[in-house]
Amino acid sequence: MELLHNLAVGFGVALTPANLFFALAGALIGTLIGVLPGIGPIATIAMLLPLTFHLEPTSGLIMLAGIFYGAQYGGSTTAILVNLPGETSSVVTCIDGHQMARQGRAGAALAVAALASFFAGCVSTTLIATFAPPLAKVGQSFGAPEYFSLMVLGLITAVVLAHGSVVKAIAMIVLGLLFGLVGTDGNTGGTRFTFGITELTDGIDVATLAIGIFGIGEIITNLTQPRETRSLAAQKITRLWPTREDFERAWPAVLRGTALGSILGVLPGGGATLSAFAAYAVEKRWSKNSSQFGHGAVEGVAGPESANNAGAQTSFIPMLTLGIPGNAVMALMIGALTIHGIQPGPQIMSERPGMFWGMIASMWIGNLMLVIINLPLIGMWVQLLKVPYRFLYLAILLFCGIGVYTVSNSPAAVLLAAFFGALGYVFTRLECEAAPLILGFVLGPLMEENLRRAMRISSGDPAIFLERPISLGLLIAALALCVLVALPAIRSKREEAFQE
Amino acid sequence: MSLGKEQSNSPHRFWRMLARRDVLAGLLFIAVAALGLWLSRDYPIGTALRMGTGYVPRLLCWLLLGLGVIVLVQGLREAQDARPLSSGDISALRPVIFVTASLVIFGLSIERLGLVVSILLLIGVGAVAARGLRPLETLAAALVLIVLSWGIFILGLGLTIPVWPEW
Repeated sequence: MELLHNLAVGFGVALTPANLFFALAGALIGTLIGVLPGIGPIATIAMLLPLTFHLEPTSGLIMLAGIFYGAQYGGSTTAILVNLPGETSSVVTCIDGHQMARQGRAGAALAVAALASFFAGCVSTTLIATFAPPLAKVGQSFGAPEYFSLMVLGLITAVVLAHGSVVKAIAMIVLGLLFGLVGTDGNTGGTRFTFGITELTDGIDVATLAIGIFGIGEIITNLTQPRETRSLAAQKITRLWPTREDFERAWPAVLRGTALGSILGVLPGGGATLSAFAAYAVEKRWSKNSSQFGHGAVEGVAGPESANNAGAQTSFIPMLTLGIPGNAVMALMIGALTIHGIQPGPQIMSERPGMFWGMIASMWIGNLMLVIINLPLIGMWVQLLKVPYRFLYLAILLFCGIGVYTVSNSPAAVLLAAFFGALGYVFTRLECEAAPLILGFVLGPLMEENLRRAMRISSGDPAIFLERPISLGLLIAALALCVLVALPAIRSKREEAFQE
Repeated sequence: MSLGKEQSNSPHRFWRMLARRDVLAGLLFIAVAALGLWLSRDYPIGTALRMGTGYVPRLLCWLLLGLGVIVLVQGLREAQDARPLSSGDISALRPVIFVTASLVIFGLSIERLGLVVSILLLIGVGAVAARGLRPLETLAAALVLIVLSWGIFILGLGLTIPVWPEW
């Protein structure tokens, strides 16, 4: 009954006109950037982060969350209609979704994708509401040593599940931790790595770093790639409703995709993309119609689409309950919270129940809005693809510039973002993933604080991390993951998995 | 290190070896770590119980240095031209330079010249980054974006950004 009471509180907050407006705004922006290739949810959320400073924290979070899951809906639209994934999480939807469209069943594919996403959204919202309170209770019993070890485990897991070189990813985390230290040390009052620049004494703002590396870095990377020719096959969508057979085949795939996505989303480093790829692999292996995959199998749309939406939403669980970001988007959410002076962690639920439950309720409302936005208005979204990137990037560039400036009305921040933009491009060229860097950046000050506290508890003896059973368990898990990845057999398996 | 020998033998081979992603990434990490260690040379370290300003930074720099060396060694051990950086780096410089420059100019001009002029400058310089933008198109885009950002940021959000140059 407590759950019902909590949800009632949440809907009370989410159904106010202002919050409904921001949920809709987030869903619309998310769909928009989901449709447009060349701009992803991380860059968009980074760009809009400064805007949320002027909003109520709850409204700001509702909008940012809407962008994240809205992008999962929008990404599938272009994947199906023009074989162009709007987001990395909809890459696999192209395979069978576009084949369905070429067979004249675009409407059915779109409807299955939207309904599968909606179903997954409903389930994962319920999962968050059910499992967040007990997890937060566990979190509240943690002391400084446990927290420190938990963060270590979170960072390591994020690296192992991400693709690419593990050593490079760990190095990127450390780099992010170092960036997070720039500025004044809260404990001793000394300044660190400020190069004598006054603006840096307050530290680097998460919005500046994220806009630079993701927003501007992405623009440069896109511009250096050969210009793509977008052929818009103007298809008339005749029949939107899937056939009875489609439904019968899609249902089990949706259930499997939702389950898989919900689990993978909770893991650090998981989230939408990994969930979608894993779901496609599962469907292909287990389906009775596996020969049809690649030729327009409806399961190949239903599974990944439900999985990416479920994964996107359940990745909120560790962020909301423990204050640990599992992916770059969650790191930015934590940035948004800290800017409002809210310390993310298990206490959020008890201290700000309106915000916590309001955001969860708004996710469900937002998902409902997305089905309505997506299905009837699909033609309008596809028209947007006709905007050439050479106009789009100018607008993105400008909004990045203004966004960074408005964080603290500081011209120096714009220059810093320009520097991070160039750095972001270098990282892309060197195949260094930027997501671990943001995770490290956000967790850096928290880790240092907890390390200091742990050392004070133990009078400077690092053995405290091994003496406390929970902390020891977390560290052993982190070490085991590192060893597992280093084993040659698993390594090749892992590469194989990411190849798919 | 054997790198020096390689260089004297055949400079070409040395550059080929250097132009590998992991080699460059490793060198980048090492350089940042070295810079960090040098910058933090005077920061008080303190003890584990009472950590000074420099304790965690120096710890992280040493860690980064070690990781950088591992990445570098991995890169050097890869087969001769396993994953070289693709050519065409010269043409890639154009977006890097102009996108970065447009933002720098925007940042330097926004407070003195106001929103309208600095947007014109940002779009003007930024448009050079991509090929195929005609001057008239660029101007039209700039005008639309000026109206749009004025509407969103000044009217909608009521931010205090100067709109016109301050004389």
